[in-house]
Amino acid sequence: MVALPLVLPFAELEVGQHLYWQLGNFKIHGQVFLSSWVVIGALLALVVAGTRKLSRDPQGTQNLLEFLWDYIRDLTREQIGEKAYRDWLPFIGTLFLFIFVSNWGGALVPWKLIHLPSGELGAPTADINTTIALALLVSLAYFYAGLSRKGFRYFEYYVEPTPIMLPFKIVEDFTKPLSLSFRLFGNILADELVVAVLAFLVPLVVPLPAMFLGLFTSAIQALIFATLAAYYIGEAVHEEQH
Amino acid sequence: MNLPIPLVMASEGGFGLNFNIFESNIINLAIVIACLWKFLPSFLGGILERRRALILSDLKDAEDRLAKATASLATAQQDLGQAQKKADQIRAEGKERAQSIRLEIEKRTIEDMARIKQSSSNDLESEAARVTTLLRRQAAQLAIDKALASLPGKLDDQAQARFIEQAIQSMGNA
Repeated sequence: MVALPLVLPFAELEVGQHLYWQLGNFKIHGQVFLSSWVVIGALLALVVAGTRKLSRDPQGTQNLLEFLWDYIRDLTREQIGEKAYRDWLPFIGTLFLFIFVSNWGGALVPWKLIHLPSGELGAPTADINTTIALALLVSLAYFYAGLSRKGFRYFEYYVEPTPIMLPFKIVEDFTKPLSLSFRLFGNILADELVVAVLAFLVPLVVPLPAMFLGLFTSAIQALIFATLAAYYIGEAVHEEQH
Repeated sequence: MNLPIPLVMASEGGFGLNFNIFESNIINLAIVIACLWKFLPSFLGGILERRRALILSDLKDAEDRLAKATASLATAQQDLGQAQKKADQIRAEGKERAQSIRLEIEKRTIEDMARIKQSSSNDLESEAARVTTLLRRQAAQLAIDKALASLPGKLDDQAQARFIEQAIQSMGNA
């Protein structure tokens, strides 16, 4: 990095710096936990507030929550199918809401007002550990879904329609979590970095288009992650019509 | 990428607040949030309001249908009650009529039996009378035959004359 000729203390960019907490033998990224807790707290508060006084006439928060539930149910039912979608609706809904609120929270909450000893707060999904954890949960979920619904017949899926597909399907089991996690992580981190770099270069107005675009991609990424997770589960529980 | 720029406030370690306007990107965020605050409620609110209106109209429809169904159930129950009443009435009338028909038939049967008995006894009497007449006639015939058979031996002129005398005398007495 070249020091700018003018000493302008506009902004600071930090990548690869983290607020490390020691937990047993693990060093964990504290800033991700902090922002995750905020996101989880916000979601819980919204849900509790929206379901406290349920009425037949859906008003305000209850209406919003019902709308979200309808949306997630439609998504899940479309991907998993009428038979099994009820079992997986909570999982897919949690994924979607957590990722969506994380992304938007990262883009909208002025995290940088809070100064940490090291690293900076942001969207939890801009950290690869979060997205890998979510993607591995999806892997576990679709294995469990397939095995619990079809038993060992689940593995027929690997040799359908022809046994030639076997190596590809095995590789797929590894590429699914990889692509899920990297897609989400990459998009959110890239968005944050673009905004940060633009804000660093031109502090006013210029980052605005990138920020709006970031809101759009954030929502799309949450939708993509949830849809793909539901699709993988649907693929695992799908019964071949013989 | 830690730029070697002298930091104004964020250089000290530990948690804290950072009110550097440019460093925290707060102005841009404020603009974005203001835009969202302005446009999102009208967009999302429209969707939510439509959804609410749809649900309310569905509920109202359902309530209307419930009311209608309740009303028709009441009418149907009323009709059922009337029909049952009518059925009871018809049943009672039928029983009554059956009773009266049975009584009448019994009475007529008894009468018929009496009449048949009467006519049979009448027949018997007339038959007996006829047989009696017949027997009487036969007995008379037999007596006449016997008399005619014994007559030639018993009847002589004297006896005949006496008989004629007697007959004339009885005619004269008559």
